[in-house]
Amino acid sequence: MVKEKVIEILAEYKDCAPEEIDASQSFEELKLDSLDTVEIVMNLEEAFDIELKITEDLKTVQDVIEAIEKLV
Amino acid sequence: MLRSSVSTLLGIQYPVLQGGMAWIADATLAAAVSEAGGLGVISAMGSDCERLRAEIRKAKKLTDKPFGVNIMLMSSGVEQTADLVCEEGVPVVTTGAGNPAKYMDRWLQADIKVVPVVASVAFARLMERIGAHAVIAEGGEAGGHVGDSSTMTLVPQVCDAVRIPVIAAGGIGDGRGLAASMMLGASGVQLGTRFLLAKECGIHDVYKQKLIKASDIATIVTGRRSGHPIRTLKSPMARRYAEWEYDSNVDDKALSELRAGGLRKAVEEGSESEGYFMAGQIAGMLKREETAQQIVHSIVAEAEELFKRCGTWLE
Repeated sequence: MVKEKVIEILAEYKDCAPEEIDASQSFEELKLDSLDTVEIVMNLEEAFDIELKITEDLKTVQDVIEAIEKLV
Repeated sequence: MLRSSVSTLLGIQYPVLQGGMAWIADATLAAAVSEAGGLGVISAMGSDCERLRAEIRKAKKLTDKPFGVNIMLMSSGVEQTADLVCEEGVPVVTTGAGNPAKYMDRWLQADIKVVPVVASVAFARLMERIGAHAVIAEGGEAGGHVGDSSTMTLVPQVCDAVRIPVIAAGGIGDGRGLAASMMLGASGVQLGTRFLLAKECGIHDVYKQKLIKASDIATIVTGRRSGHPIRTLKSPMARRYAEWEYDSNVDDKALSELRAGGLRKAVEEGSESEGYFMAGQIAGMLKREETAQQIVHSIVAEAEELFKRCGTWLE
């Protein structure tokens, strides 16, 4: 559930199809820079009604999914 | 007299901050700006811990007024620098090129005013949430590391998104820039390039002469390929980098080696061929060397004059 929603939000941000996003990919591989990442995290926080800590450990989409799963 | 929430917050007379330019902004420049009523800022970059400690103590000897230290979060040794500013009781910390979240708790505990540089609305909101006292919204007209948004577009959008004071930076060179920034909703400004021509700024004379000669189109942004775009004067080195950047035969390593140490070579040696002379687009406006006091006072006086004339725009 979390995974689908995260990928949906990412796909919407990138204007691409959800199938094009693989959870093992890093933000860098998705061609998202640090400013994009901050904005996406803010969008995710609003969508899940949580507060995420942006740390260096959040490298891949999967890292973000796991961080969110711990909070919801 | 010009007052704003930034002057009150930082305990300074005028809402004018001096950018914490790496390898350039030392105690002499910072103290001169603070003495003039603005906020001088020492750059932590290019100093090891002991040298930075010495600079901070020197600034305290030169002025009783508040000053800041700029910490560039991409640089090495941030962990030690982050502690050092607490130990030395630095009144203000500005940060650049990254997210200072990791260090916020200790800085807030040490009663340091934290003012991060931001290049987007989301980043500004995040900084407000983690406890920043103000943000510096810096547009891509600035020298050094830059974002994509311009000051004109970034500042009002950041002002709409956060409740903490917003300081505008990037492309501000005189009182018109200060007045315009306040019209956009900012409560103050930060200038880097203009202070390069302060008498108290110790950069090489070649660097200063290049700034005086610079026209409005004298700068270029390079480094987009590496993800770290930097605005500099169009020196031979910058032109070479720009050429290599679009040459797929040049690998990333060669590209990064080309630029390594370029700023230091500009600042200390004034090397025409190998220097990387960082400067903002406002460089074309600079005509002469002045004291930090002349710079701060003229900016404020010009802005005050403009605000007095505001009423005449309405019938």
